[in-house]
Amino acid sequence: MSKVSIDSVVKALRKSVWVFHLNSGSCNGCDIEVLDALTPFFDVERFGIKLVASPRHADVILFTGPVTREVLPKVIKALRAMPRPRMVLAIGSCAVGGGIWYDSYSVIGGFPKLKKILMEEGIIIDRVAFVPGCPARPEAIIYGILVLLGVMKPKSKKEVVTIE
Amino acid sequence: MKNNDVKTLAKGSDKAVDMVLKLLKEKLSKYNVRISRAVANNLIVDVSRRHLRDVAKIVHNELGAYVRTCVGCDERNKNGCFAVYYIFGLDDYGVNVIVRTLAPANDVKVPSIADIAPGADWCELEFRDLLGIDVTGRPVYRLILPEDWPDDLHPLRKDVPYGVRPPPVKREGVTLTELESPGIPVGPYHPALHEPEYFELYVEGETIIDVRYRGFHIHRGIEKLGESKLTYKQIPFIAERICGICGFCHSTCYVMAVEKAAKIEVPERAEFIRAMVLEIERIHSHLLWLGVACHLLGYDAGFMHTWRIREAIMKLAEYLTGSRKTYGINIIGGVRKDINKEKIQNVLRTLNYIEREVKELIDVMLSVPEVKRRLTGTGILTKGEARKLSVVGPVARASGLNRDVRKDYPYLAYKYVSFKVPVYTEGDNLSRTLVRVEEIFESISIIRQLLDRLPGGDIKVEKYEIESDKVSTAAVEAPRGEDIHFLITGKGRPYRWKVRAPTYQNIPALRPMLREQLLADAPITIASIDPCFSCTDRVIIIEIRNGKIVNAKRINIVRLSRKR
Amino acid sequence: MKFLKLFVVAKKAGTVTRKYPFEEPLITEEFRGEIKIDPEKCIGCGACTLICPPNALTMRDEGNVRLIRYFVGRCIFCGMCAEVCPTNAIAITKEFELATLDTDDLLRDLLHKRVKCRICGRPFLTTKLIKYANKDIPGSDNYADVCPECRSKLSIKNILKYRGDLDV
Repeated sequence: MSKVSIDSVVKALRKSVWVFHLNSGSCNGCDIEVLDALTPFFDVERFGIKLVASPRHADVILFTGPVTREVLPKVIKALRAMPRPRMVLAIGSCAVGGGIWYDSYSVIGGFPKLKKILMEEGIIIDRVAFVPGCPARPEAIIYGILVLLGVMKPKSKKEVVTIE
Repeated sequence: MKNNDVKTLAKGSDKAVDMVLKLLKEKLSKYNVRISRAVANNLIVDVSRRHLRDVAKIVHNELGAYVRTCVGCDERNKNGCFAVYYIFGLDDYGVNVIVRTLAPANDVKVPSIADIAPGADWCELEFRDLLGIDVTGRPVYRLILPEDWPDDLHPLRKDVPYGVRPPPVKREGVTLTELESPGIPVGPYHPALHEPEYFELYVEGETIIDVRYRGFHIHRGIEKLGESKLTYKQIPFIAERICGICGFCHSTCYVMAVEKAAKIEVPERAEFIRAMVLEIERIHSHLLWLGVACHLLGYDAGFMHTWRIREAIMKLAEYLTGSRKTYGINIIGGVRKDINKEKIQNVLRTLNYIEREVKELIDVMLSVPEVKRRLTGTGILTKGEARKLSVVGPVARASGLNRDVRKDYPYLAYKYVSFKVPVYTEGDNLSRTLVRVEEIFESISIIRQLLDRLPGGDIKVEKYEIESDKVSTAAVEAPRGEDIHFLITGKGRPYRWKVRAPTYQNIPALRPMLREQLLADAPITIASIDPCFSCTDRVIIIEIRNGKIVNAKRINIVRLSRKR
Repeated sequence: MKFLKLFVVAKKAGTVTRKYPFEEPLITEEFRGEIKIDPEKCIGCGACTLICPPNALTMRDEGNVRLIRYFVGRCIFCGMCAEVCPTNAIAITKEFELATLDTDDLLRDLLHKRVKCRICGRPFLTTKLIKYANKDIPGSDNYADVCPECRSKLSIKNILKYRGDLDV
């Protein structure tokens, strides 16, 4: 089997990605903004993006919510069902950093912590993009998808300033 | 009990509280009870465990009170006992009767009142799970905590830290052998659902005979964080994120409970602004529900048009408060953002646009044959069942019960406006839709009246003191029903904070609604109570046919796309 | 046939799509986006870190510096930090295009140099905070660059000297 680099596959997947929406315990704020992106004002379908019914059909998974303890085994099963290359867009402050409840007893803490658990189970995530916001605007979600697919370059960079 | 005195009474006033006090003294004279006044319109009845069931029977059946919620609290460092508070509401007087009973730390159990007042069913299982207070005289099962949580660790006890992470415990599932019919698993990840919930529908042919539901996937430990990590000033922000659709109601309710306990006089202008934003949220939530209902019925054009109209409200909310959702303008003592003439003009223009568009669209939508036929006569909830289960919100108003917190326990600026509460008697899906449509138009009229009478002045109070050990409640009419918060104040942060969201009371109503229904009608029936599972964080196992509770085997998730 | 009126409704509404990113996004002037801390005005007091509900703003003292870290990923964009800052150093921008491929890119660090105690040599507070505290308090230059433990020892020594109980 010839080895194909993940970058070349991602380059080919620039148009008309099919997405699956996965809610791992969020408050629904980011989820209604995801649905809002489908409605006439933002109309994500002009990029060819549509919602599908199963992770087996999906190219990109839209991930919201800090991963709660109850939902963890089910999320692992759903992500395992997704075929390679696995691309994930983590939406909202809960998915990026765990949100307000990042250290509660019932919460694992967002997608970065979940990624470590998935590596131990042998599930490889090929590309992840993070969209902060509470809730994340539909325009921010569209920008996030374009960053994930490599169409636009991310603007945010780490800053360190020293003061005397 | 109804006489002319009650009809002309100002609900929730001191006179109403005195009348209820007299009534309680007379009815409960032969039990050894102590009745005292708490903050505002709350009365506390202290009763021993021996007489709890008799007192509950009198308050619920003879006085006609509704169960609002029940709360367990760890008061071992105050008096060495665990306390349980049962909150009953008397709608005619606008007064809450809180029945309190104590269980000493070496004998932690209370008798169950779920057969007298079925509305208290879930609350009892909740304090059994989170605090370890045993409930005798009823079947028990795990409700809230995750399946792999150990049995003897109770998170809400004061000696358990908020960040505890116990290792997972493996449990054996029991396979169902008593029911012969096949079960169709729906969820946790299914195209018809937006949140992770797990339903199993047992069918005979096309008719549903049994429903099993495992929810609580969204339990995040909010009450524990509010009691141990966050301070009074930070909690409005976490309360707003309990639910992304009705979040402002939760933050308003919490702030009102603290202000009542600390006797803070909120300026009138802030009350008007809060009432206005609450009504804006109600319009947005009902439009969202209409779109989702159309989508579930297969009428996607209705979905797109309703959400197109809703976008105007989101833009208005951002212009008024700074964010499309989770507004963040509530603080203890008032609001953070003011309103000026230009913003008022914008509000009035948007309201005119929405009124015009919604009237035209509803006219078209309800005349579509498939929508009309699928909504009429399905998912019927009779008035008797609604009263027994103490349902709230549009579900109650569509079954003939005239319950609305804005009229029964008046709060904020609602006493200055006049509006109608729509009540229908059929109890099917169509009446629930019509109740919500009428509420949109009533909300538009309320906002116009509020803006007309907006007073001047400050929008917040800067200096205040919050004393400890005060028991307080506050209730708000959220788009889905009555939302109630219970608070015991402590030093710097609450001692006990309990949130009871409206969908809590409404999910048990699914049992009579889904009985003998066709499978194809199940999604729209479940959606018609407007479930908001992130508010709820609860689990229930509903058995329609034989009333027994069994644990199901974790079946693999099967993707079924049954909608189209 | 009344449901055919939907065509009239649709025609009146027309096309409402905003073709973002080729057109302007739908933002109003009150929108709260990312915050920006002005390094000239920040004094390193940490008031913002006490009010922040999700702990997106954290403060840590390590070695010679005080680190104030802003993690955009956990921020809930409430704007309370801007309200409590005593020097108005925090400004709320309208930036929402914050997506990145790595969470490290979402960190904004501010390092304040700490002043060393004149007597024991341990670092204790930032330069700017000492200047801010001494602005309105007259006559405190003796204790301005001394850490709290040494300060209490020094003031007791000075009181005893003044009363004549200590021979120095």
